[in-house]
Amino acid sequence: MATSSFFQSSRAVFSAAVLLRAIFLVYGLFQDAFSPMKYTDIDYFVFTDAARFISQGRSPYDRDTYRYTPLLAWFIYPTTWPGLWFSFGKVLFAIGDIVAGWLMLLVLRSYQNMPQERALKFASIWLLNPMVATISTRGSSEGLLGIIVTALLWAVLAKRIELAGFLLGFAVHFKIYPFIYAASTVWWLDGGDSGQKNSGTAKKPGSMVAQIFEFINCERLTLALYSLVTFMSLNVIMYLAYGFPFLEHSYFYHLIRIDHRHNFSPYNILLYLNSFPDPTTQSSVELEHLAFLPQLLLSAVMVPIALAKKDLPSTMLVQTFAFVTFNKVCTSQYFLWYMMFFPFYLPDSTLLRSPGIGISALILWVLGQALWLQQGYQLEFLGNSTFVPGLWASSILFFLVNVWILSIIIQDVKAKSHLSHAVKPVKKVP
Amino acid sequence: MKHRITYLVHNPDHFSPEQLSVKDDSLALSKVDAAKEHRITFGLSELPRELRKAFEQWHELHIRWATESPYTAISPFTSRVSPGLHAFFTPHKDQSAGPLCDLLREAFGHGLGCEGPEETFIKLPILSGRFSMSSSSQYYAHVPSLPNLVIYIQQKVCPASSTSCQKGASSLLSASYLDIDYDTISHALILNAYWAREPTSGTWTETISPRGKEETIEIGVLNNEKNPDPEDVAFSGFLTVLGQDTSPKPTRFQTPTRHYPLPSTELTYKTSFSHPTGLHPTLLISLPRANLEPPNPTCKLHAHLTLPRTLFIDKYQFNDELFLASKNLVSLRSLHGATDLEAPDWVVPQWGSAALFELAVPSDQQKENQDEWQVSIPMHLRYLPPSETGHREVPVPWPVVFWACRSEEGAKMAVNPFDRLHLGYEGLFGSKTRFMHVPPSGNASRLFEEISVPVLNLERAGPVEWGTVGVVVAAFLWLCWGLFRGAGGNDGKEVEKGKKKQ
Repeated sequence: MATSSFFQSSRAVFSAAVLLRAIFLVYGLFQDAFSPMKYTDIDYFVFTDAARFISQGRSPYDRDTYRYTPLLAWFIYPTTWPGLWFSFGKVLFAIGDIVAGWLMLLVLRSYQNMPQERALKFASIWLLNPMVATISTRGSSEGLLGIIVTALLWAVLAKRIELAGFLLGFAVHFKIYPFIYAASTVWWLDGGDSGQKNSGTAKKPGSMVAQIFEFINCERLTLALYSLVTFMSLNVIMYLAYGFPFLEHSYFYHLIRIDHRHNFSPYNILLYLNSFPDPTTQSSVELEHLAFLPQLLLSAVMVPIALAKKDLPSTMLVQTFAFVTFNKVCTSQYFLWYMMFFPFYLPDSTLLRSPGIGISALILWVLGQALWLQQGYQLEFLGNSTFVPGLWASSILFFLVNVWILSIIIQDVKAKSHLSHAVKPVKKVP
Repeated sequence: MKHRITYLVHNPDHFSPEQLSVKDDSLALSKVDAAKEHRITFGLSELPRELRKAFEQWHELHIRWATESPYTAISPFTSRVSPGLHAFFTPHKDQSAGPLCDLLREAFGHGLGCEGPEETFIKLPILSGRFSMSSSSQYYAHVPSLPNLVIYIQQKVCPASSTSCQKGASSLLSASYLDIDYDTISHALILNAYWAREPTSGTWTETISPRGKEETIEIGVLNNEKNPDPEDVAFSGFLTVLGQDTSPKPTRFQTPTRHYPLPSTELTYKTSFSHPTGLHPTLLISLPRANLEPPNPTCKLHAHLTLPRTLFIDKYQFNDELFLASKNLVSLRSLHGATDLEAPDWVVPQWGSAALFELAVPSDQQKENQDEWQVSIPMHLRYLPPSETGHREVPVPWPVVFWACRSEEGAKMAVNPFDRLHLGYEGLFGSKTRFMHVPPSGNASRLFEEISVPVLNLERAGPVEWGTVGVVVAAFLWLCWGLFRGAGGNDGKEVEKGKKKQ
C-alpha cells in the first residue's frame, strides 16, 4: 500500500512536512502581495514591528500589544533586513515545527518503544497537520513553543537534567504557562529507577524529615537550580535592557488583563458581567478572582501528583489540557499547546481503541467550537447581542466537552500504572 | 465690551443699501438675506468673579461648538468642525487646571464626561513646530444644542436688568456654530457666534443699539467680491460704527485667507456606516465622482475624525498599501488620544481620539463610473457596560472633509479679520496651508450617525454567575474524583490489560 510505504520512510514524511510548509509559505507570499486580506497573522506584524524597533535601538514595547519577551523580537531580527527576509520569522517558526516533530519521533521511538512506522504515523499528527503548518507559516510564535516544550520533554526523559532545567526556565520566561511542567517533571524525577523505588518508599513510613530529604534528590535539585537560574537571569537581563515595560507587558499584563473580548473560556461572560464598575449590581463575592484556583490546583498540583509517575508525556497533556480548559482566557491558538502532546498519548488511548468514543469526542470538540463561533459571528459581524444565552451557553458546553475528554484521558493515564516506568530503564537511544 | 457684527449677504443682487438705516446711535436692518457673525470681546474685568478667577489660571482655552443640523457656509465662514463641543486647552506651566471640567459641565450640560484635563483631555500632536498657536490638549463631547449655555449666560453673565442680553443669549439656540476664545496674552474673552441664516423668517429684520456707554458696536454688511488676487478673498459693502457714523460707510477690502471657498458648489459628502455594524463598524464617506477634481495640483483631500472613546481606530491596519487602496485611502496622517486596542470602554479615562486621513480621489478611468466615490474607514468598538436591552446607542459625529493645499502666503493669513484657528486639524499641517472645505450634504437630517452596540443583556444574565460557578466547581470536583478515586486499588487489572496489548 502506498500509505504504508510512505510511513516507513522518515525521509518521505519529513519531506512532505517541509513541502507542506513551503507551499503554505509561498501561497502566503502571493496572497499578501495581491490581496488586501492578509494571510500573515496580525501577531506577526507585532513581532516584526518590535524587531524593527529593536534594530533602531528602541524598546520592542514601543509596539502596542507586544506582550512577549524581547528575545522573540531578537530571534527574528533578520526580518528587519530588506526583501524576502521579512518572512524569516515564519521560516524559523516552521523549522521549529519540524524539529519539534522530529523530537516527538525520537520520544516515541526511544521512550515509548514504538516501531519506526507507527512512530512516524503518530508524529505525523503534528508534522502533517495542516492546522499546525498554517499557524506557523502565518507567523504565530506558538510554533516556537512546540520545539521548546517538546525538547523539554525529551531532555527530561533522556535524563539530561541540566538541559531540561535550562529549557524549563527558558519556556517559562517565554510563555509563563510551562511552569506547570515543573511540578510534573519534579514529581517524576524520583531517583534513578523510579518504578521500584516508588513502591518501596510507599512501604517505608520514615520520619517527615527523612521523607523530605528523600524527596530532595540530586536530579530535582539540579532541575530546580538550572531552571531557576535560567529564568531569573533571563529576566534580569531583559529588565536591565528594557526596564519596567518588560515586566509590565510580558508578565503583569497576563495576570491583570482586563480585556474581555469574547473567547472560548467559560468565565468570559462572568468576567464581562463583573468587571465594570457599577454600584447597582453588586456581586456577592468577587468570584472571578478565585478562578485561578481550580485551574492551578488541577494543572500544577493534583494532576502531577496523581499521574506524573505513570506517564510523563500524557501527564503533561492532561496538565496543559486542564490549564487551557480552566483558563480565564481561551482562544484557538491555545489548543496548539496541548495538541503537541497528543502523539504521545493517542497510541494506546481509549480515543483510538474505541472509535465510537474517539469520533464522538472529536465531533463534539469541533461542534462545541462551531456553535460558539456561530454565536460569535452573530455578535461580531451582525451586531446581535448574543452574549447571553448564546455565547455563554456554548462556551459552557464547549467547556463540558473538554472536561469530558479530559476525564477520558485521565482514566487512560491512570490505567497505565507503572507500565511506562518499566519501559524507562530500557534506554536505547538510536 | 466690544461688538462686531458682520452680515454676509447671500446674493448681492437681492441687496440694496436702502435696507439699512442709521438713526441716532442705532442701525436698523430690513429683510436682509445674509449669514451673520456676532463677535463680542469682553475684558476680563467685565466677567463675573468666578469666571475671571478660573480664566486667570489658564494659558488658553478655545471652545468650538457646531450644530448637528447641516448648514450652508458662506466665505469667509467656510471652516468647519465636527458637530458637538470641542475644547482646546493649555494650562499655565506647572499650574493646575482648576475647575475647568466643573465650568464646562455647568455651561454645557451636567452629563458631560469630564474628570479633569489631566485624565479626560487628550494630548495634541504638534507636527508643525512653527505653529506655536496650537493648544496642548483637546476635549470633545456630544452636545447637540446649547440650552444649558443660554441659561448659564442669562444667570451668571447678563446684568439682571438687560433684556437685550437675555435675548442675545437665547439667540444662541439657533446658532450654527459658536467659538469661545481666551488666551493669557490678549487677556480678553471672545465669544463668536455664526448663524447661516435668520432662523424664523430667513431674513434679518432687527435694530441694533448699544446698551451702555462702555459698549462699542461695529456692524458690517458685506458681499463677496469676485476675482480678487489668487489666494485672497475680497469684500465690498458698508461699515457702521454706532454712535460715530451717521450713515453706513461704503467699504471694499481684500485679505489672504486660511479657509478658502471651494470652487465647485456641487461637491458635498455624505457619511454613513455600512450595515450591519457589528463590533467592527466601517465608516463610509461618499462623494460624487465627477466633482472630485483637486482645485489645484497641490491639493490633497482629507477627512478629520472625532471619535468618542466607544470607537477606536487600529493604526496598524493602515500600513499596507493594498489595504489602503481597497478602502480609497492614501494614508492615516495622524491619530492621537485613546487608541488602546483592547481596553473596554469603562477603563479608558480619555474622551476618545481624533484621526486625520488623506483620502484617495478617483483616477481618470475611475471617474467614468457613475456611482458615488466611497471611502471606507474600518473601526472597532470597545466593550460597553451591560444594559437592560442588550444594546446601547452610540452617537458618532460626521467627520469634516477638506482639501489641504499649499499656499504662498502663510503668516499673512492671520491678518484676515475673520481668521479662524484651533479647529483641531490645522496644527497637523504646515503653516502655509490653505483649507478648502467640502460641506456635508444638505439632505442629511443631522450630522450624527447612531451605532447600536451589542452589549450583555442584564435581564437575561441572571443564571450567568451561579451557572458558571456551579459548572466549573462541579467539573473540578468530578475531575478530582476521577484523579484520586480508588488510588492504587485497580492497578493490577490495568497492568494485565496493558500487557495483553504489548
